[in-house]
This record gives sequence, C-alpha cells and structure tokens, in this order.
Amino acid sequence: MMLARAMRPLAAIALAGVIVALVLGLLGTSPRVVIGALADGAFGNWIATVDTLVKATPLVFCGVAVAIAFEGSLWNIGADGQLMAGALAAGALGPATAGWPPPVAMVALFAVGAAGGGCWGALAGWLRARRDVSEVISTIMLNFVALQMLSWAVHGPLMEPSHAFPQSAPLAPAAELTLYFPPSRLNSGMLLAVSLAVGCYFLLFHTAAGFELRAMGRNRRAAVYAGLPVAWLTIWTMTMSGAIAGLGGAVQVAAITHRLYEKLSPGWGYEAIAVALVARLNPLAIVPAAVLFGALDNGAQAMQRSAGISPVLVQVIEALVIMILLAADSGASRRLRLALATSRLAGRIATTPAAGSDA
Amino acid sequence: MLDVLNAFLAATVAMATPILLAALGELIVEKSGVINIGIEGAMLLGAFAGLAAAWFSGSLLLGVIAAMGAAVMLNALLAGLVVSLAANQVVAGTALNILALGLTGVGYRRLFGVTGQAITVVPLASLGGASLAQVAVIGPLLAQNAIVYVACGLVPIVGLTLARTRPGLHLRAAGEHPAAADALGLNVYRQRWVALLLAGALAGLGGAYLTLGYTGTFDEGISGGRGFVALAVVIVGRWKAWGIAAAALLFGAATALQYTLQATGAAIPYQLFLAMPYVMTLAVLAMVGGQAQSPSALGEPYVRE
Amino acid sequence: MLTATGISKRYGPTLALDDVDFAARPGEIHALVGENGAGKSTLINILAGRTAPDGGRIELDGTSLLDGSTATALRRGVAAVFQTPMLFERLSWEENLALGGASQGSVGLELSDVKAQAYVRASELDFALPPPGVRVADCAIATQVRLEILRALSFNPRVLILDEPTGVLAPAELTAFLAMIRSLRSAGRIVIIVTHKLAEALAVADRITMLRAGRKVVELPATETTEDELARLMIGELPPPGVGHRTPRPTGEIALELENIVYEAGGRRLLDNLSLYLVPGEIVGIAGVEGNGQAELAALLSGAIVPQAGGIDIAAGGAVAVIPQNRDREGLILEMTLWENLLLAAPLRKRFVSRAGMLRRRRAMEFCAELLARFAIRSAGPAALAAALSGGNRQRLTVARAFASAPCAIAAHDVCRGLDLRAVAEVHQRLHEYAAGGGAVLLISSDLDEIFALSDRIHVISRGRLSAVAPADRNPVRLGLLMAGATA
Repeated sequence: MMLARAMRPLAAIALAGVIVALVLGLLGTSPRVVIGALADGAFGNWIATVDTLVKATPLVFCGVAVAIAFEGSLWNIGADGQLMAGALAAGALGPATAGWPPPVAMVALFAVGAAGGGCWGALAGWLRARRDVSEVISTIMLNFVALQMLSWAVHGPLMEPSHAFPQSAPLAPAAELTLYFPPSRLNSGMLLAVSLAVGCYFLLFHTAAGFELRAMGRNRRAAVYAGLPVAWLTIWTMTMSGAIAGLGGAVQVAAITHRLYEKLSPGWGYEAIAVALVARLNPLAIVPAAVLFGALDNGAQAMQRSAGISPVLVQVIEALVIMILLAADSGASRRLRLALATSRLAGRIATTPAAGSDA
Repeated sequence: MLDVLNAFLAATVAMATPILLAALGELIVEKSGVINIGIEGAMLLGAFAGLAAAWFSGSLLLGVIAAMGAAVMLNALLAGLVVSLAANQVVAGTALNILALGLTGVGYRRLFGVTGQAITVVPLASLGGASLAQVAVIGPLLAQNAIVYVACGLVPIVGLTLARTRPGLHLRAAGEHPAAADALGLNVYRQRWVALLLAGALAGLGGAYLTLGYTGTFDEGISGGRGFVALAVVIVGRWKAWGIAAAALLFGAATALQYTLQATGAAIPYQLFLAMPYVMTLAVLAMVGGQAQSPSALGEPYVRE
Repeated sequence: MLTATGISKRYGPTLALDDVDFAARPGEIHALVGENGAGKSTLINILAGRTAPDGGRIELDGTSLLDGSTATALRRGVAAVFQTPMLFERLSWEENLALGGASQGSVGLELSDVKAQAYVRASELDFALPPPGVRVADCAIATQVRLEILRALSFNPRVLILDEPTGVLAPAELTAFLAMIRSLRSAGRIVIIVTHKLAEALAVADRITMLRAGRKVVELPATETTEDELARLMIGELPPPGVGHRTPRPTGEIALELENIVYEAGGRRLLDNLSLYLVPGEIVGIAGVEGNGQAELAALLSGAIVPQAGGIDIAAGGAVAVIPQNRDREGLILEMTLWENLLLAAPLRKRFVSRAGMLRRRRAMEFCAELLARFAIRSAGPAALAAALSGGNRQRLTVARAFASAPCAIAAHDVCRGLDLRAVAEVHQRLHEYAAGGGAVLLISSDLDEIFALSDRIHVISRGRLSAVAPADRNPVRLGLLMAGATA
C-alpha cells in the first residue's frame, strides 16, 4: 500500500525525465549522456553520494517547513527567505563564539538560526492572522527583503575584516560542525534534519496541536466553529515553519559554508515545494524525496561539465514533476476515476440521448 | 534639481509600466476566479523570448509578438492545470515560475554560449523624441515608448470592459459564483481560459518592455519580483482598473526613488532601495488589509458537477 | 406537455429514483411532494438538466430534453430556481437579472432595458423591486427568492421549476407568495413546485404527484385529496409518535445565560441587545424566519464570533455544544476521519488528549465506534472519512457528537433540515430525553411544527432581537405575526 502510494511520485519523476530527454534529443544532445552524467554526479562514488546528502539536507529542512505550513493551508512560499534569515543570524553570531565550548556554540547557533527564521515566518503569519494579508504575497516579498538584508550584511556590518570579498567573517571553530570522514562533508546537521522530520511527523499526526493545524488546513470555517484558535494557530504554524527553515540555514552555515555570502540559497525554498508535493506533505517521506532532488542538484553540476547543459535544466525537471503530480492528483481526474469506479459498480453507464432529439 | 525631478518622473513611469501590464492581466484573471502566482514566470519568459526573437530577426515588433506569444503559451499550460484539471492554483503558479526560470536560464546560456557576448538590442524609441523629454515635468511623462502608451490605454479599456459590457459581466459572474454561472449557461472553463490567455499576452508585453522597451538586454533577475508586486497591486487597487493604475504608479515611484537617491550620492546602502518596493508592498498591504473585496470564488478550483 | 417516463437514477449503492413517470400539462401548477429523501430533488435536477438520468426519457412538447446541461435545458425552455440560492451576491440585482434570458447578443450591457423589463414583470407579480444598484447580498432573503424567479422568467421558459421556494418565508408572507405562484401559470406555461409541506401544495397546485422512497406513489388532482390522506401516503405507515410530555423541572440554576449581546458586522447590527437564559431540563425554542440573527446566535455560542458588547455565562465547568445549520461547511471536516471529526468538540478534545498534548488515538477510535453504534450511524468505521457518509448520517454524526460531549446545554440550529420523517422523530426523541434527563436545549428553527412540538418556552427572533412568547400566544397565526416583526 505504501509502495503503491510511493509509485505515483516516482512515476511523475520518470515521466518528467522522459520529457526532458525528448527535448534534449531534439536540441541535439544525447539524453543518455545527460542522464549518465546526472547519475554519475549524484551517486558515482562515495564522496559524490555524501555530497548528494549534503545537498539534500537544506531540502529536508525547507521541505518539512513547507509541509507543516501547507498542512494548515498556509502557503509558505518564503522558506528561502526564512532560511536566509536563520543563516544571517547564525553567521552573525558565529565569529563571536570563539572560545566557547563547542556544544554550547553549536546549540547557540541553532537557536539563533531558528529564532531568525521563526521571526521571519511569524511576520508573515501575523500579517495573515491580523491583517488578512495573503501569506503567498507576504512570504515572497519577505524573500526579497531577506536577500537584500543578507547582501547588505556581507557588504557592510558583517563583512570580513580584510574587506576584500563580500562575505562575512568565518565562524569560530567552536561553532563549526564537525565533518566526518573528510574529504566527505558528512555532518551531524544531517542527523538533525532527519530527527526534525521524524519529530514533525509526530507533531502533525499524534499531537493535539498537529490535529488542530490539520483541521484548520482542511476546513477553516469548521475549525472556527469548533472553537479552534485559528488566528493563533496561523501565527504559531508560520513561526514553526520559519524556524525550521531558519534552522536549516544555520546548519548550512555551520557545516558547509562557514561564513555568509550573497547567493546563499540557490532556491531551496522553492525546490522544497516540489519536495513537499512529492512527499505528499508527509514529513517522513520528505527525507527520501529530498535525497532524490539533492541527487538531481548534485548531478546537475556534473551534467554541465560533461554534457555542457546548464544545471538550470534541473529546474525544468522540478517544475515538470510538480505539474505532472498536480495533473495526476487534481480534482477533476480524481472525480473522473471515482465516477468510473461508481458506474462500474452500478453496472450501468449514463444513457445516450433518445432517438428523435434534435441534437 | 529639475533634472532630478525629470529623471524621477521618467523612471517612475518606466518602472510602473511592466507592473501595470501584469496587474491588469491579473485583474482579468482574478475577476474570473483564478489566482495566478505565475505572472513572474510569464514576464520572465516573455522578456527572454522577446529579446531572443528581436536579436535574431532584427525586428523589435517581432520581438514583442514573440514575447507575448511565449507568455501566452506558459499561461495556457497553467490554464490546463488549474482550469481544466482543477489543480491547486498556488502550487501550479509556483511550478510555472520555476519552469520559466529553468527555461530562460537554459535558453540564455545556449544563446550566450553561441554568440560569446551578452545579447543587446537597441530598445524601443520613445515617442516624441529627445526634445519632448526636455520639457519640464510633462516631458518625461509623455516621452515614453509605444508600450507605455498601450499600457495607459489599456487601463480604461480593461476597466470599462469588465464593468460595463456583457462579456465583462459574464467573466465576473464566473469569478463570483461559478456554479450559478454554469447553471445559467455560461461556460466557466472557457471564461477562465480566455482570461488566462489574455493575461499571458499582457504579462508578455510587460516582459517585452523590460528587455525591449527599457534596458535592451537580459539577465536572469530582470523580472525582479515584479510579477509578485503585481499581485499585491491588484489587491491594493481594490480590483479596479484605476486603483491598480494608481497603485502601480506608487510602486513605480518607490522603485524609481532608488535610482534618484543613488544619483544624489546619499550614503544609504543600495540594498535598502532594492528592498524598498517589497517593504512598501508589505506595509501597504498591512494597512489596506483584507481580501474582502476580492471576487467571491477567487482561488477555488471549479469542477462542474 | 412535459412527460418523463421510466426515470431511474442511482448514486452509488442508493437507488434515488426507480422507474418514475411524471407528466405535467400546459397551464397547470403541478406539485411534486414527498418527504426529504424521497427523490424529489433528484427528479427536478434531472428535469432541469443538472444531472443525467441512468435510464428513461424526458420530452417537452415532443422534443427530447436529455442533453445533460442546464444551458441546453434553458434553451429548450426549462428554467429552475433551486433551494440553494444561485444569485451573485456581490453583484447588483440588475446585473443578476442581466445574466438572465436577455443574455445573448449585444456586447453592451443594456441595464436600462433589463430594468424596464423587470419592473413590468415585477408589477405583474405584485412585488416591489429594490432601489437601483443595490447588491443582492444586501437584499432580504424573500426578495432574493423573488429576484431569482424573475431571472428564471426572463428566459421565457415553458417549464418553471421551483424547489422548496417557501422555506425562507415568514408565515405572513406565504399567502402573497402563493398568490404570486398562481399568477405564474399563464400562456401554457407549466409550473412545477417541489415541496414537503402538504398544506401549501394543496393551496396552490392543480395536480399533485407524490414520491416515496424513489418511486411514484400517486398522481391526482389537488381537489380530489386531503392533507391527511397525503400525509398517510407520504409515509406509507403510521406516523412516528410525537415526543412524550415533559414537565420542566425548575431547579433554580441557570445552564446558559446571554445578557444584552450586541454583535455588528459589515455595518449592520445582527444581534441587538439579545438576552436569553436556559434552565436545566427545559427546551427553549427560537422561532424565526431565516436571516434574522439565528446563524449569528449559533456562531456566538460556538465561539466563532465575539460580540462587541454583552456577556455569556455558562454553568460552572460546563460547555455548550452547538449543532450548526450547515453541517458540511461548519459542522464537519469532510476530508478527515470520523473519529477526528469527533475531536472537533472541545470537551472531547480535552478527554482524548493527554496532558503532554498527545492524541489518545486508540481510545478516541474506540469511543467513536461505540458512538457510531449507539446513534445508528451507517459507516465503514471510525477510520472512514466523513465525506463517505450520506447526508443523513452526517447529520446523525453532528448530533451524536453534541450529545457525546456531555454539555450542559445544546444549541441546535435547523437540526432537522433535510432529514426524512423517521430521522426527524429520532432527533426529536433524543432532544426530549436529553432535556428530561436534566440537559438544556436551545432549539433554533424556522419550522413552527418543530418549535411547537418540543419547546417549553418560545422566543421569536426578528432582526436580531428576541421577544418572549406568552403561552396564550402559542399559535401559528400569532407567532407568524411576531416573526414578521409585529410588536407584542
């Protein structure tokens, strides 16, 4: 049953791949070379595989963030900005943690990361709850604002001491997450991501808070009539969502980049929407879904090297995956299948117009 | 001083135009009951397609047509998903944005790689020529290219068509209560398809303006969130054509302010200016608040029973 | 002449219509009667082109009507006004009418022509149109019904179908409305009126067709039958017994009290200094025409709206369980399971959530299974989705949930709407037993029979104000006057 449900997203990805392969063929590039390059780049060797996981980690954070919000019918398109806000906070604190015991520094970084992202999400949540501003628009606006804040920070107050490059001072070693088995970049942030996914699963399906969130997401009016604190739930959910994305930003800075620079996120927040959809908003399924997309991202760079195709092609694949899943899942197709099933049960099909009609 | 003012006014109109075009298109779409997050993608694709077509053909007109055509095709994809298949409109729109980013990225690098240099074209000339632009205050406002004039003309056209004509009424009915419209014999699917295609043409025109009407070149960030600002402009403008025109000018002014203040050499970080339109959007939305004036069935996918 | 022969329609396992024949002659008013669930709505949905039948033929003056869309039905001359309003609330009434029959041809919107025609027709039917430019949302519900009828008439239909048109009318407005319906019969037009109110059917119709459990039971001229006979035919057996007699026990405590509640929204005062109290063991009926504040009162008790002034007092430690009017939108979350829907009641949430905030899933599901059995709700079990339940079973679920949350008071808003007679008797019996056992019930209803059958005390709600009804005034005429806004 679980396997059957997992089939549809996989089929969607396969179909997207086929479409892209066809188009590539038309453009004169061998699809086999491209797919080979993708696969090799993603899983070709031990280091590459770990790198796929590295690329998947922010997608797990953002994917869980997006999934939680979407379960409440809160369309959080701002995971990117929330991640950046968290990264900014972590990157700001990082250099100052010199001399701190590493566990303390790490926890502090995570805490400010979550706080930063949480504030960013809370803002959108408040605007929705109290001012009826669509969170779709507000989170997108906040993405752009976060981008500029990050830019300002690395060009200005947080700029590294030599003022040579637009990036921040590096984190104190205490704040850096240990990388296991160098040169691989395996780090404990990944464990955090997976634990978070599991935790959110429990939150959504085994706690009262998660129940209230899902109720609000499915029928807001009935939730109001049931006395659920819808305004508070909205703010709380967006804050949580932002905090998780912000945590992802902090982990990214602590484990991988070790400092801040301008284009910190290549669009993880948007990619996370595809991840969340593929996972059907189930936090547990987000982990494998994120790995899949991480593989695409990782392989894309190899694809550029060997096949000369821009890595941006991966975005086309992602978009196609979302659209195929939407189409397969949509109301109309669902109704069609239901109608077919019902009519089969009843043993009849609607009659055609009687003879004599002037149609 | 006058120069600064002139430059500011000219920039305001220039900045406002693509937003206005996109917002007018979105007005039509939202009145029919659909919310299109993917305007940004349509503008981006239009911008790129327009530039590429103009570059290869040497004709700006062809470029504009290509821009509109590309955006219409993208919107057709959206219409297939959200109208015919009743899919979630927010997610579908986001997918479209990602798709446009991917397509333009791949496309641009292909062309860029081929020619080995950035593609530029000479942008559309402004009507009235250089002398008109010198006239104080009025000059810069009037000395704009053809697309701007089209945009201005569209404001009353769209507004009046929606409010005072039968097709406009049918469209609004589809957005208020699609089931009732259906029961009266109106084809809700067709209304929404037409709305999305028209909006595609307008968004494409807006995108064409960015590359062919203003800068003459393309980069991946050229649409810069204007499509999203257009969404806000529709809300701020209370779903009325004139309100939208006013809101678009407001945002255009906020963006133009950035260049003006930069030119004066003020010691304010440029990121603040870049962020200003977005912050302002948020602030205005927070003040103006609600969606209480939106079409009643906005955002709800409709499936005929 | 409209003839339908051998119409059958199946919805999943239920056979809604079983080989039904129906015929209506030009120039006649034909009433289609039967209790809720008998198949009336299905039949007229088919006649109006909303649904296609599984089998059978329909012909209007020799032309087949089986093309399956309301648009074609309209073109062929069949117009219908359904129970759920199909008006565009935020558009003006003129624009609503403009979307009617004059809808073809011109690009320009000739509202003046539309208005002129409307004034002519409205005066023929003896009712007043709203002032120009008024949005439908701002019109009284009775006006809205009439506007819809006007719009249907603008299609110059050969057949006009009215589905339960009197549901939202005050008793006082009924006579005028029925007179208007009689005047619709003209120039060979067929008027089909669907109703479950036998007295009205007899008052206005020429011929009556009765459906029961998806089959046609009888078709005869109105003059040849009586209300009693029809009632007997409608149920096909002895009517379910009424509730027993109850003596309310004045225990002195108050279960629920509302004091000087004021609620305004959208610039209008919807609840106007409303005061009310409920004592354990009694059923208080709130009678009124829909749209006078009942929905707001129910919403207030649910906690969905907050009054600008006034206070609510509930007996210590107690809760008010509200059974809302619109079960699918306000009462249930159709995409969630049955046991999860139970948790929408706050007391049940408290009961099945541990102190750490975890859901006690297994216990909740067991409780749900028990409840499903006790209230005879047909389902596939606690893990079934609410959407899979039939309308009647969904109503049973909301009623069951209200009782199961052990409240000190239950507020039921139009709780029996859409239920068949047996289900109605069931619900009434439960409310009666609940009150007899010490509970308090606030019965908000537009059905006077229900109010009289169950209530110990009666209030009338009109424009957001309550007025108590003295025992001497407990009759439909007097109540009708009060509902129409007459002062005591």
